[in-house]
Amino acid sequence: MRWHHNIDCSIKRPSPPKDTAAMIRSVRFNSTQAGLKKTALHDLHVELGGNMVPFAGYSMPVAYKGQSHIESHRWTRTHAGLFDVSHMLQSTLQGKDAVNFLHKVTPTDFQQLHPGVGTLSVLLNPNGGIVDDTLITKQSAHDFYMVTNAACAERDSQFLVDELKSVADAKWTPITDRSLLALQGPDAHRVLQHVLAWDQSLADLYFGQRRSYKLFNGAYIDVARSGYTGEDGFEVSIPNEDALQFAQSLLDNEMTKPIGLAARDSLRLEAGLCLYGHELDESITPVEAALSWVISKSRRNITEGVKFNGYDKIIDQINNKTHKSLRVGYRYQTKGPAARTGSKIFLPDGKTEVGHVTSGSASPSLDNINIGQGYVLKPHNKRGTNLLVQVRNKLLPIELVKMPFVPSNYYRG
Amino acid sequence: MFSRTLLRTINPLRISVRAQSSNALSKAALPFTYSPSGPSAVKYTTQHEWLAAHADGTAFLGITKYASDALGDATYVELPEKETQLEAGEAYGSVESVKSASEVYQPVAGEIIEANDKLESQPQLINSDPLGEGWIARIKIAEPDSLETQEGLLTLEQYERSLKEDE
Repeated sequence: MRWHHNIDCSIKRPSPPKDTAAMIRSVRFNSTQAGLKKTALHDLHVELGGNMVPFAGYSMPVAYKGQSHIESHRWTRTHAGLFDVSHMLQSTLQGKDAVNFLHKVTPTDFQQLHPGVGTLSVLLNPNGGIVDDTLITKQSAHDFYMVTNAACAERDSQFLVDELKSVADAKWTPITDRSLLALQGPDAHRVLQHVLAWDQSLADLYFGQRRSYKLFNGAYIDVARSGYTGEDGFEVSIPNEDALQFAQSLLDNEMTKPIGLAARDSLRLEAGLCLYGHELDESITPVEAALSWVISKSRRNITEGVKFNGYDKIIDQINNKTHKSLRVGYRYQTKGPAARTGSKIFLPDGKTEVGHVTSGSASPSLDNINIGQGYVLKPHNKRGTNLLVQVRNKLLPIELVKMPFVPSNYYRG
Repeated sequence: MFSRTLLRTINPLRISVRAQSSNALSKAALPFTYSPSGPSAVKYTTQHEWLAAHADGTAFLGITKYASDALGDATYVELPEKETQLEAGEAYGSVESVKSASEVYQPVAGEIIEANDKLESQPQLINSDPLGEGWIARIKIAEPDSLETQEGLLTLEQYERSLKEDE
């Protein structure tokens, strides 16, 4: 049998191994491969039976022994899943010109954003294409905290450093001494609350907010109520030296299981969220990516002040609908092999190509029916449209549907 | 040939390997019980397929436990059409998990005479009993007499050894 491995959550993915044996070899040996970085929790992953794979330059767990992918996925939807996302790049942007800088490289209004609140945004190149998607939190008027993709770290860094040359007072600083852990699922707040100091409460920390909390052992963590699964949950930034004990204390709770990259990807797909390198790249604008909501209303008619990169193109797309294709979600109408990245999408005539798949797999929360995301030419992108997707030599019927595929459970108070 | 195989199956070393190996054929399921005395030969490939040949010149095909563990939860099995003629090495179906799809190849030339329709509603049989209830297809072997001489077909011991060499 030959493997078409699809754990390609990064844009710099290794070429797929030719056969099972090669795949398993690479999975086994890459964990000790020279040059791979390790997170502060690496030894814990190994101890927990993590199947370590190279991912964006790090050795990361794709799944844990004794828990299948589907079990891990469903556990996160019903209890609490702990993800090590320390490979993602945390950074700060500080200075009097920080907002002006953000207004040049993103289409989001960071002036009006309240301190202590974060939002999804995108870094834009001069053509309005997406350099990366990012979560940016305003800590105070001149102090921002950013999380960007691990796989984009090099490009982001080059991009930000270049863009910063035109700004007088803004300093971008990668954070290297802190780990990032995500705790996701309906029990996440109980699990995290349990390890906080007695006078600390998560009850008034709403989706998007970020705040410092004290742990029972006196250590401090920065907690954002956010995540990448569609569930309520937290992303916790913690000093590397405290990360292991913290992770252990969360795993001591029987509601928590460690979850690897495989389930992380199927969870985000069901939540209708984008993965850079799949749904997003430098040729795609936020309008095409169906992320127009990150383009703040207040930034769509700029007569004076800073225009964001690609402003004319993006505003033209918003006002005149000049873009040709849009990100969509689809659902299979029959059982069948899953369409994967690159599968072609056709009109019901089976001949006219109108799009392609960017992510696709069985949905563990929807009885393993195949779902996916892709780009489809207008006007065939409307919800309810019936199309065909090609998998090897078969054409399978799909229907375009609303995303998220699985309802979100964000804590909005 | 038949007696030679029988002799080998009662080789004590082989029995002990079988008893320990999760890649051995399940004795309770059709690929074994199709003939009252069990299959005349069980062969493996380095691509992690197995073949259980019976005296009537037909054989059951599937993937090994090692492969199904590596694949993870099967979510869909693409079954072959009946009467398809396939050469050794040609794909006759595929097994999908949430994250991957794997084609499965014919260990020997033959014609598909039956597919395991149970896998349509219960793809998880590929994980729970890959060498039994999770068989994928039954073929009429083109040249049943050449099974022992055909290149690339391994015994259970040889297959297990190849897994160790991969480690």
